[in-house]
Amino acid sequence: MATVEERVKEVTAHVLKVSPDEIKMEDSFTEDLGAESVQSIELVAMFEEEFGIEMDEDAALAVQTVGDAVEFIAKVCREQGVDVEQ
Amino acid sequence: MSARSFKAGLFLTEKGLLPMRLVLVDRVEQVRSCFYPLSLSRPIWELRCGMGTLKDKLLAVAGAGEAAYFVPGYMADAYRERVEGAVNDVSALRGDDLLVVDPRIRADDFDVAGTGPSEVGVDEKGEVVYARIAKGDAGRLDGSGIEAFMESAKAKLAKAACDLKRYKYSWDLILSNAEQITADFASAGRSGIEGVVEEPKAIRGSEKDIYVARGARVHPMVVIDAEHGPVHIDEGAEIHPFTRIEGPCYIGKGSILFGAKCREGNTIGPNCRVGGEVEESIIHGYSNKYHDGFLGHAYVGEWVNLGALTTNSDLKNDYSTVSVMLDGVRSVETGSTKVGSLIGDHTKTSIGTLFNTGSYVGGMAIIMATGKPLPKFIPSFAWFVEGVVTKGFGRKSLYDTARAAMGRRGCEWSAAEQAMWDGIFEITSAGRDRAVKRGRKAMLGR
Repeated sequence: MATVEERVKEVTAHVLKVSPDEIKMEDSFTEDLGAESVQSIELVAMFEEEFGIEMDEDAALAVQTVGDAVEFIAKVCREQGVDVEQ
Repeated sequence: MSARSFKAGLFLTEKGLLPMRLVLVDRVEQVRSCFYPLSLSRPIWELRCGMGTLKDKLLAVAGAGEAAYFVPGYMADAYRERVEGAVNDVSALRGDDLLVVDPRIRADDFDVAGTGPSEVGVDEKGEVVYARIAKGDAGRLDGSGIEAFMESAKAKLAKAACDLKRYKYSWDLILSNAEQITADFASAGRSGIEGVVEEPKAIRGSEKDIYVARGARVHPMVVIDAEHGPVHIDEGAEIHPFTRIEGPCYIGKGSILFGAKCREGNTIGPNCRVGGEVEESIIHGYSNKYHDGFLGHAYVGEWVNLGALTTNSDLKNDYSTVSVMLDGVRSVETGSTKVGSLIGDHTKTSIGTLFNTGSYVGGMAIIMATGKPLPKFIPSFAWFVEGVVTKGFGRKSLYDTARAAMGRRGCEWSAAEQAMWDGIFEITSAGRDRAVKRGRKAMLGR
C-alpha cells in the first residue's frame, strides 16, 4: 500500500494538474502549487474520498503545506480508526 | 368596501378584535416539507402571498385579538425572538376561546365565525382544518401538548365537514400571488399618492389603482402601469429611473428598485434591492437581486443575494408542466406550465447563475456558476462548485457570512438563529450527503 505522503501527492497532482514528482513536502498549496479557493474545496473532498475519512472543514482548510496535510490526514485517520501506511 | 382593512401593515377587521386567541400550528413534517426550502426557517404562516403574510390574513379574517404559535422545536427559540405571542406554550391553550386553524387555509375563503359553540372542521380525509374551542371546553381537553390537545378536541367535540381550500405547495403561493395582491389592495382600501412621484412620471390605468405610501419616493422616468392590476408602493420604498412596474404588484417597505422591469404579480420586500426583470415572483425581506437577469415564478427567501445575470427558467421549451424535487429524490408534478425557482434563506449565487425550470435551492447554499443550467435540486448548506455539490468551506463560514450580511443592515445573527440553522443542517443532511456523494463520483471521474 502506498504511504500517506504518496497518496496525498497523488491526489494533489490529480486535482491541481501537476506531476506528483514536482510536489515537495514544504510546498504551499496556494503559493507554490497555485491552488485557488475552489480547488482547495476539491482537494479536501478528494482527500476524504481517498482515505475514507471525514475532516472538519475549518481545520482542513487551515492546512497550508503538503507536509501539514500529510500530518493532518494521518492524525484524522488514527482518530477515525482508518489503517494507513505511514 | 370589504369587511377588512389594511392598517399599519396589518390586516384588521372593521368589526374590531374578538376576545379570542388564534392558534396556529405547523408541526407536521409531511406538511411542512411541501413548503421547503422556505419553511425550513419559518413557520408556514410567515410565508408571503399578496401584500402580507398568511398570518396577517388569518388574523384579520378571524378577527383575533391575539395569537399563539406551535412550531417545530428546532425553530422555537428563533421564532420567539421574532413574534410577541406565545410560542410552543401549552398554557396558551387555556383561559380564552380558541380558534385553531391550519395555516395553509386561503384566508379569503375562511368563513368560520371566530366565536360560537365548539366545533372541529375536518376535511374528507378526517384531517382537522380548524377547531373552534370555547373556553369552557378547552379545559376538558388534554393540555399536555398541542398534538394531544388537538387529538382530544377531535375526539370530544362536535365535528363539521369542511372543504376550505388550502395551499398545498409553495408554488401555489406563487401562482396565486397576482390575484391575492388585487384582493389585498381592494381590502386595504387605500389609493393615491401620499409619497413623492417626481416628474416626468408615466402612469397608465387609473390612479385609483395606485397607492404610493408616505415616505416612498418614485424617481423621474418611472412607468407605473396599473391598467391590469393595482400597484402598491409601501412606505420608504424608492423606485429609480427607468423602472417599469406592472400591476398587480406590491413593493414592500424600504425596498429599492434599480431600473427594474417589474412585471405583474410580484411581491417584493421589505428592504429588498431589485433590478433586472422580475415576473410573478415573491421575494422575502432583505434579499438582493441588484442586477440584470430574469427571475420568474420564483419564491425567494430572506437574505438571499442573486449575483448579476442570475436567471431562472420558468417555462419549458415544450410547454409541458413543471416538476419540482423537494427532497432531491422524488419529483412532484406542479400541474403548472410556469414555475421558476424556490430559493431558501441566506443563499447566494455567483454571477451568471442559470437555474432550470422548477429548481429547488436550499437555504444557506453557495452557488458558483458553471455556465450551464444547474441541477434541479441543490440542498441546504451546499457549496456548488465546479458543477458539483460539495461541503465547501463548511457551516461556520456560512454563518460568518450570514452574520456579516445581517450586520450590514442593522440586524442581529443571534444564538437562537444559529441554533435553528444547526437544526436545519441536521434535518437536511440526508439530501445533502447524497448530493455530496454524487459530486465526489463526478470529481473522481474527471
